[in-house]
Amino acid sequence: MAKLILLWLKCVVLWAIVEAVFEDQVGKFDWRQQYVGKVRFSHFDTHVQSSKKVLVATERNVFAALNTRTGELFWRHVDKTGSEGNIDALLQHGQDAVLVVGNGRLLRSWEINVGGLNWEVVLDSGSFQSACLVGQQDMVKHVAVLKKTAISVHYLSNGHQKWIENLPETETVDYQAVYSDGNGEVYVLGVVPHSHIAIVVYSMEDGEIIKQMSVEAPWLYNIQASCVVVGQGMLTCVDSAGVSFYMLDLHLQLQMTQVPLQSLALEVDPGFHPVLLSHQPNPARQPLSEFFLQLGPDHYQLLQLNNGQIAAMRDFKPALLVSFATTGEKTVAAVMSPKNKTACSVNLFSAETGRRLLDTTLIVNMDPNGGKPEKLYVQAFLKKDDSVGYRAMVQTEDHTLTFIQQPGRVMWTREEALSDVVTMEMVDLPLTGTQAELEGEFGKKAAIQDGLMSMVMKRLSSQLILLQAWIGHLWKLFYDARKPRSQVKNDVTIENLSRDEFNLQKMMVMVTASGKLFGIDSKTGGILWRHYLHNVPPNAAFKLMVQRTTAHFPHPPQCTLLIKDKDTGLGTLHVFNPIFGKKSHVTPPALPQPILQSLMLPLMDQDYAKVLLLVDDQYKVSAFPSTKNVLQQLQEMAASIFFYLVDSSQGRLSGYRLRTDLSTEQIWEVIIPPEVQKIVSVKGKRPNEHVHSQGRVMGDRSVLYKYLNPNLLAVVTESTDLHQERSFIGILLIDGVTGRIIHEAIQRKARGPVHVVHSENWVVYEYWSTKSRRNEFSVIELYEGMELYNSTVFSSLDRPHAPQVLQQSYIFPSSISTMEATLTEKGITSRHLLIGLPSGGILSLPKMFLDPRRPEIVSEQSREENLIPYAPELLIRTEWFINYNQTVSRVRGIYTAPSGLESTCLVVAYGLDIYQTRVYPSKQFDVLKDDYDYMLISSVLFALFFATMISKRLAEVKLLNRAWR
Amino acid sequence: MLQRERIPLQLIFLQAALVVAWCFTDVETGPGAGVSTQPNGDRFKIEGRAIVPGIKTQDWVSTARVLVEGEEYVGFLRTDGSFAVNDVPSGSYVVEVVTPTYRFEPVRVDITTKGKMRARLVNYIKTSEVIRQPYPLQIRASGPHSYFMKRETWGWTDFLMNPMKDVYSTKKMMLVMMMVLPLLIIVLLPKVVNTNDPEMRKEMEQSMNMLNPNPELPDVSELMTKLFSGSKGSSKAGSSSKGTRPAAKRR
Repeated sequence: MAKLILLWLKCVVLWAIVEAVFEDQVGKFDWRQQYVGKVRFSHFDTHVQSSKKVLVATERNVFAALNTRTGELFWRHVDKTGSEGNIDALLQHGQDAVLVVGNGRLLRSWEINVGGLNWEVVLDSGSFQSACLVGQQDMVKHVAVLKKTAISVHYLSNGHQKWIENLPETETVDYQAVYSDGNGEVYVLGVVPHSHIAIVVYSMEDGEIIKQMSVEAPWLYNIQASCVVVGQGMLTCVDSAGVSFYMLDLHLQLQMTQVPLQSLALEVDPGFHPVLLSHQPNPARQPLSEFFLQLGPDHYQLLQLNNGQIAAMRDFKPALLVSFATTGEKTVAAVMSPKNKTACSVNLFSAETGRRLLDTTLIVNMDPNGGKPEKLYVQAFLKKDDSVGYRAMVQTEDHTLTFIQQPGRVMWTREEALSDVVTMEMVDLPLTGTQAELEGEFGKKAAIQDGLMSMVMKRLSSQLILLQAWIGHLWKLFYDARKPRSQVKNDVTIENLSRDEFNLQKMMVMVTASGKLFGIDSKTGGILWRHYLHNVPPNAAFKLMVQRTTAHFPHPPQCTLLIKDKDTGLGTLHVFNPIFGKKSHVTPPALPQPILQSLMLPLMDQDYAKVLLLVDDQYKVSAFPSTKNVLQQLQEMAASIFFYLVDSSQGRLSGYRLRTDLSTEQIWEVIIPPEVQKIVSVKGKRPNEHVHSQGRVMGDRSVLYKYLNPNLLAVVTESTDLHQERSFIGILLIDGVTGRIIHEAIQRKARGPVHVVHSENWVVYEYWSTKSRRNEFSVIELYEGMELYNSTVFSSLDRPHAPQVLQQSYIFPSSISTMEATLTEKGITSRHLLIGLPSGGILSLPKMFLDPRRPEIVSEQSREENLIPYAPELLIRTEWFINYNQTVSRVRGIYTAPSGLESTCLVVAYGLDIYQTRVYPSKQFDVLKDDYDYMLISSVLFALFFATMISKRLAEVKLLNRAWR
Repeated sequence: MLQRERIPLQLIFLQAALVVAWCFTDVETGPGAGVSTQPNGDRFKIEGRAIVPGIKTQDWVSTARVLVEGEEYVGFLRTDGSFAVNDVPSGSYVVEVVTPTYRFEPVRVDITTKGKMRARLVNYIKTSEVIRQPYPLQIRASGPHSYFMKRETWGWTDFLMNPMKDVYSTKKMMLVMMMVLPLLIIVLLPKVVNTNDPEMRKEMEQSMNMLNPNPELPDVSELMTKLFSGSKGSSKAGSSSKGTRPAAKRR
């Protein structure tokens, strides 16, 4: 019983130690930004005149509704990643939005006001081709989905299938498009490449084939790329080879009529495939008889179909983008054309007449560091005087969405590239001018040149500047305090960026998969700079390195981004200033050979830039910067520079040493047979990690020393055999210098994905146990023993004793997305593991729970050591979620950085969303907490003070009385 | 000569073919065995309903998702709170309704190869234990998530009523003790203890000596135990030092 009580007491104490967020801290030092990804389909909600919604379906399998006034999300639905959640089509009718998902596997209908699901049905297998809404007598009640071999029609109200028909002659005909214009018939258009068009007409009522026919079209191979339906069911195609239009009346179906483009005085740019664009405002009615023909990259032509005759209406050159928009009965065409180098203008034209509408110019300023505009979405509305007004949403190739109102006011911008952050770094902000001045005062040069007097004068003047700055700060505080809180704006711009007292505010440099770089202020989340890198291959791998921090004033800080094409292995370097985002004038070396490995050395050149070594596929090493100074240092250091290479396809792990002539020699090799198991990940320790205590004090006051090998690598392997009885995962601890295998562990009946954190003297990994169908954590800790072999310096080459290995495993009641450990300035603060969960929470789990020395039976000693008794299951408490209800969808990485305060660790979680916060793993022991009770302390102090005064007085009186006696 | 050489060559060919064949079979067994747990792509549907008592469904369904075994299969909630996760092969899965606001208990759903469904409580330790749950699933929210710790507000009444609430209040209590204790000792002690008794006085002096800062004393706890045993006679002093003990240790 007593033990139980003790245990309970311990739990209570632990409970108190573990940190949590207080409700009044919400939003104080954390922020979240939600993204959706690159937009694939977009529709403005038009069924209510004053609607503020725009629906977007994106390439990251997200369907969301954005507020057109603010750009914020109304709601968002995040589907599975990969092809199974891929959104194939988005159709909107009234307050329903119909999505075709997963290559035609699912049909979903969403209620767009609430954001809830109306219905979801599973479609028959077959790859998706096309979908359209089908109307009858001005009522839209059905949706038709065309697959490779079948067409099905579903009710919009409940998703039930009305009919499904197999398509005829599917072996030869490639059916590509479905069309309906509200006359009770559904047209399915297919093509036999370079032979003929096949048209099947189904009755809407029962799916019976009304007509079936084929028309000669030897020039056609893709309907969707070159054909549209215009006007009263006229299939219009453009042939780039024959340079002519072909038209076919779907209702009469006689023969294709050919209209040479030359007869309309049109000319296609050489090498350009012409594209047609038509518009069907209402699925129950016929499409417009006006349509666009794109003749070149910046050349459009508005055409009209009139009684079977095509007439040219207006020529647009130069024009970057065109779009149709309908409001009420009016349809307009918006044309975007370049104005000057940094701006474009959008103009509206009446679709019927081709005439330009007055006062409809809208200026779009283009970011010189951004990409070219890619898509134009126009929201048209009727003004009070019945003229057409509009707003435009422009999508650029760097995945940015900009929503613009006349005459050019940007209402909001969404940087959707940030939905796919690949890697990031946090860089210290520079000192302000005054701070730098103070620093400069103690520079070496100054001290030698100047005499005593001038130094004194300098000191006085810098103190004066400080005083001035302080008064200015006070004045600002006072001025702001009088204003209501909401009006106080702390505009952070690049100009007034400066390091704060505890270095809590940093610059987040984020690299996205699209090749756009961002500089984000970690305090507010404001984007301070953006830079779009053109010509980044789509499957590039990125590695971001800080070569010079801001500590070396007046040298500017310098970051280097290594961009590597995964297919060819060829890399490029982009060198930039992380504070301003500007490309550095340092020219990076050209890399003609594929890059195998890159490593940052602690060596610095005379300008304080760290040396970056690049190893190419000939095992030759090049240095950047490669000045004489650097090469000399490298020659001196070469004997102690080691690196390793991983070839997971061949299961080869090899260690190399640098020679003085910058060639390399192999010193060890470990082969992990790739037929049995494959290397999944190799993790070293973070170079900026500090370990404060060399050992752990045991219950009997002896010390257990940690095995702190900075060269240790944790190699995780997974078996190629995936059968649940035979699959296993392995973990190898290898010394990266000598290749010595320190420890090897195999987890049977387990499979990946394995998440690993390697730090200090421990490795924590998580895997899926196939036997018990649960996620398990395992922790390995390495100890030297009771004595330290060589306490002054660690050398991999001189460690005769193998470390003691302790291991323990736990059940974790959820799968995890990613994992990282907290990091602090000096490593005194206890460590926590930050675990990103699929539910969007980020759990801060004290490392204390993952300690292989947790005893099964509580003893006096273990209690003395503050070890928690072993329990098989780790708990997930929502109080431990550092992001409370600000969930981070699809969290992909967690970045931790130390701040100037030992207690505080900065955390950024990124995935679809970005969340930034601070954590205090051992609570705030080095600053006063924000709930510090000044009142109580001062009242106690005053009370004590007065009590002493009074008692002194009383004592005096008493003494006096006694003396009198 | 030529003829002679051909035979070993053929042998080598044969061997190579054997090796290739062996490789093939090896490759075949791996994924083939893996797939065998999901026979010929039969896919099933997990159905159910999530309920948040007292809250309209449209207020929370847009932020909710149904996660099956992490994010392996994802379902969405209909406007009435019901859900269906399509395309799930047979197996055993943990089904969870996830919202940022409300807490739902996860349920394990077993699907046989024939598509028979069974729902049971999740038990990660005794994985084969079966406590049946209704199927189609009925998942009721067990209340809102509690993300925040309460800031402890401190008043004089707290101190009197519940002084040992947690570490924080203990610290504060120490402050107060600092004020109150000397007062107690000064005012009350002479009245309770008979100071004229010489034995008592000696004992008091002893304990007072111990309170003085002395570098020879090794540990606070030792001092405390000594104080305990030493001042057994004076009940008041004993009880008051008891109060400071845990606080001092935690420092």
